[in-house]
Formats: sequence, C-alpha cells, structure tokens
Amino acid sequence: MTESHVVTVRGLSKSYGLRRVVDDLDLDVEAGEVLGLIGANGAGKTTTVECIQGLRRPDAGTLRVFGLDPVTQAEQLRPLIGSQLQESALPDRLRAGEAVTLFAGRDGRDGERLLEQFGLSERRRTAFASLSGGERQRLFLVLALLGRPRLVILDELTQGLDPAARRDAWAAVDQLRRDGTTVLLVTHELDEAEVLCDRVVAMRAGRILDAGRPEELVDRHGRRATMRWAARSADGSATLLDELRRLPGVADVAVTERHVEVRGDRAAIAHVGAALVRAEAIPDDLTVRVPSLEDALLELLDGTAEHLSPPAAERELVGAAR
Amino acid sequence: MSAQAGRLLRTELKLMLRDPLVLTFVFVFPVVTMLIIGGSFGTDPDPEFDGANPSHWYVASYLTVVIAATGLVMMPVHLASYRERGVLRRFAAAGFPRWSFAAAQLAVGLVAIAAASVILLAVAAPVYGVPAMHLPGRTIAGLLLGAIAFVSIGIVLGTLLPSARSAQAVGLMLFFPSFLLGAGGPPPQVMGAALRSIAQFLPLTIVTDAVREPWLGVGTPTGSLFTVAGLAVAATLLAGRRCAL
Repeated sequence: MTESHVVTVRGLSKSYGLRRVVDDLDLDVEAGEVLGLIGANGAGKTTTVECIQGLRRPDAGTLRVFGLDPVTQAEQLRPLIGSQLQESALPDRLRAGEAVTLFAGRDGRDGERLLEQFGLSERRRTAFASLSGGERQRLFLVLALLGRPRLVILDELTQGLDPAARRDAWAAVDQLRRDGTTVLLVTHELDEAEVLCDRVVAMRAGRILDAGRPEELVDRHGRRATMRWAARSADGSATLLDELRRLPGVADVAVTERHVEVRGDRAAIAHVGAALVRAEAIPDDLTVRVPSLEDALLELLDGTAEHLSPPAAERELVGAAR
Repeated sequence: MSAQAGRLLRTELKLMLRDPLVLTFVFVFPVVTMLIIGGSFGTDPDPEFDGANPSHWYVASYLTVVIAATGLVMMPVHLASYRERGVLRRFAAAGFPRWSFAAAQLAVGLVAIAAASVILLAVAAPVYGVPAMHLPGRTIAGLLLGAIAFVSIGIVLGTLLPSARSAQAVGLMLFFPSFLLGAGGPPPQVMGAALRSIAQFLPLTIVTDAVREPWLGVGTPTGSLFTVAGLAVAATLLAGRRCAL
C-alpha cells in the first residue's frame, strides 16, 4: 500500500456456501478518485465493497482502508466511511428528519444542509414508508454523506431515481470529487460509470476482467463504430459500395431497401466520410454511433465468455438496454 | 452508554409507540381480555383459583400476558423485519456497535412491558381492584426476571426467523397456547389432566406462577422463581450470542 491508496485489497476471496463470489481479487483505490466497480449482478461487486466496509469477513486475503483493517479496527474506520447500501431500508415509521438525527451524531447542521441540497427539506416529517423510491434513494445519499466522510461507498446509487433526481445524484458525486473525497461507486448503469468515474474496474464471477479509465476500456474493447444513412439511388452504385468496403477499418457494408450501414473500427469513420465527400454523395441524415463503455463491456464479456462460465442470467444485466 | 446507542434507544422507543402491532398486542389485547375474563368468575374466593378472588387472580396473571405478548410477538416480528429489510446492515455500516442494537431492543422490550403493566393495573384498579402483594420482593423479582427471559427469547426468535411474516406466524402460534394455558385462560384446576401436564412445562406458566403465588399468597412454593431466573440467564446468554454473530 502506498500513501495515495485509500483502499488496498490483496487476494480477497469470499464464498457463500459452495459458491465463490469473490475470487483472489486485488484492488487499489487512490485518494480522491471516483472508482467504479462495474459488471453484471453476481459479479461480486457488492460483496467486495461489503468486505471493504467490514460488513463481511473475507475467507482469504488482506484488506486495508486508510491503513486500517475493516474487521478488527471497524470502530476507528466507520467514521471515515459513508455508505449507501444496495437493498437496505430504514424502519418504516422512521421520519426522514429523525433518520438524519439518528445517523448524524453531533453535526446536525450538516444533515439540514444535505436535506436541503437533495430536496428533502419538505419531507422531513414524512415516514420512510411514505417516501417515493427516488426520495428514499436521496435520503440514503444524505445519510451516506453525513459527517463528511473521506471515503464514500455508493452501491447502485441511482436505482429507482427519475432522470432529474439522477442528475442531482451525479452532481453530488461530482461535488465529492471536487472536494477531494474518494468515491467507490458500484453500478451496472454503464453510462453513469462513464460519466462519473475516473477509473472503472470490470468484474465477472468475482474476478477483475480489466481496469482503467473509461476511455481506455473503450479503446481496448469497444472498437466497433457504425455509420448509417438513408439509402438513395446514388448510394447503391456498385462503385461507391466497393470503395467503402475497401476502406481501412471497414468491416462490413450492408445495404437494405432503406438504409446503408457501414460497420468498422473508429478510424473508419473518417475514411467513410472522406469517401462520401469524394463521391459527392454527402447524406444529410448521416448518424455515427461510436462505442460506449457499455459496448466495451459487452465485447469484453464476449471475449472472456469461453474462459469463465457465469450464470446465464448475468448477460442480460450487463449494459442491458435502457 | 455511547451517544450513538443513546440515540438508537430513543429512536426505537419512538418507533415502538408508532407500531400498531405493539399497540394492539402489548397495550390493548391484555387489557381487553383481562376485563372480560376477570369479570367472568365473580369475586368470591374460589378453590379452583387456589382460594383467591378470581378477578384478582386474573389481574395478577395478566401482567405476564403483557410479558408474553412483548417477547413472543412484538420482539420477533420487529427484529426479523429489520433483518429481512437490511435495516441492521444499515445500522452496522453507519458504525452502530453490534451490542447497541441488542441492548436497545432489550431496553425497549422492558419499557414496553413496564408501560403496558402500568396501564393494565390502572384499568383494573377501578373495576376489580388491585390485590395487595403478599411478598412484594419475590413478586417484583418474578416480573423482572420473567420480562428479561421473554424479551431475550423474543430476540433469539427474531434472529432465527427469516422474515417478519414467519416471525408473526411462529410468534402467534407460540403466544396463544401459552396465553390460554399459562396465564389468561382457565385455572389449571379446571383443565383436563393432559392439558394441565402440558401447561406446567410452558415457560409462561412458570413465569405466571413466579408472579401470582407471591403476589396473592396462594399455591405452594414451587421454586418457580429459581426456574425463571435460570430461564432468564439462559435466554439472555443465547440472545447475546445470537446478536454477536
């Protein structure tokens, strides 16, 4: 562990019964970064962060958070960590304001400020059971940020939030980054990881598949780009289509009655554009789809499918169509 | 007690008063059934009630109905619901010490029993009168140890049962036979031999004996207070062990 590492995990393994959910995992989280753990349900993300918080005892491996052991030094560590847990709740009849008082400790003003920031001031006297799904998530976020923790762990941060609340939550994470707070974000919302994270770690079956900045993962694994425009008589000419097929980086040119679609790597975009200009066949409805982190992760999972054998149900959840 | 544990206890006390299950089972049910049953057998000393005034016999008995309702219904449902919904995990992640939740539950259970007992006696006083305690020390010891035993049993059940629904089902299944055979039903003298022999081994019967005998000065010394003390120690140790897991 170096000075800059807030979290250091070495050789972490955890099983539930016979099922190994985290398998010899190494992970470092740098001070001040927003690190995303991405992957399908069952990839071991939540178990990993629960071990980091000391909520689960690892079967093997060492963990240090701010240099402390999360299990044996939990009492010293807990004030330094704020967490928003997946699938947890508050007592039904506990009011939002009471929850803040219960979890805030001495710094009640911090709670008031956060309730205001997340639009919950008016709901202070509302029981948890009567809050909407989005309001509950915002309240969890408020509770996670109480006391200005140095490490914030957010597990499925925006689950159940409407688009506006989602943007507010993203803004809150961005603010944390600017304040120098370290954030560990567990998500399978890949657009969220792409926007918020300095670095992402892609997991599957308890192991790390790859890690890096989102754009690095896209570079490494999301090579495909697609260009598409409405077919016109001129586009159907054999000369132009042949030229497109021969361009560097172009993998496939498909012509249907309605559309021309060119697939290839990202370098092909420029070559196709230039070819269209040369042929004076510039379409006014050209759309270009460049690979996203979601595409990259899907390719990454495809590429490792033969090496790992996850439950079939996992695939549908990775970068699932939203 | 740490500040965190104090805040947790205050919050849990507030939540208890907002819980309709608690209000119904712990505060209302014993009072209503005591008023009905207590007036059913008259007020003349009766050999089937160990020679005591039947109304007084039931007033003394119904304090242990409060104890059973708290331990067998309120505590297991409350705890199992917290476990099922991840509330305990949230408390743990926020740094609440493991012991603080168990301690808060024990305290809340005892406060619920004390408050419901006061209400029960306040209602009984103008209707049937509250009998004087023949042996106040033993009576209060029986009540206190019985309360600790049943609250601890409730904590154990709440940590074992997987959901609030299962806790409610099991709790009610344990509560009603215990209530009818061990405290709020007919006196043992009018029960058939089979029922009487089942009843004598029920924890609630033992607690009721430990309270009613010294209170009314009836029956024979059965050592029930020592049995209740043993039950309280065993249940508390088990509850502590379950909460530490």
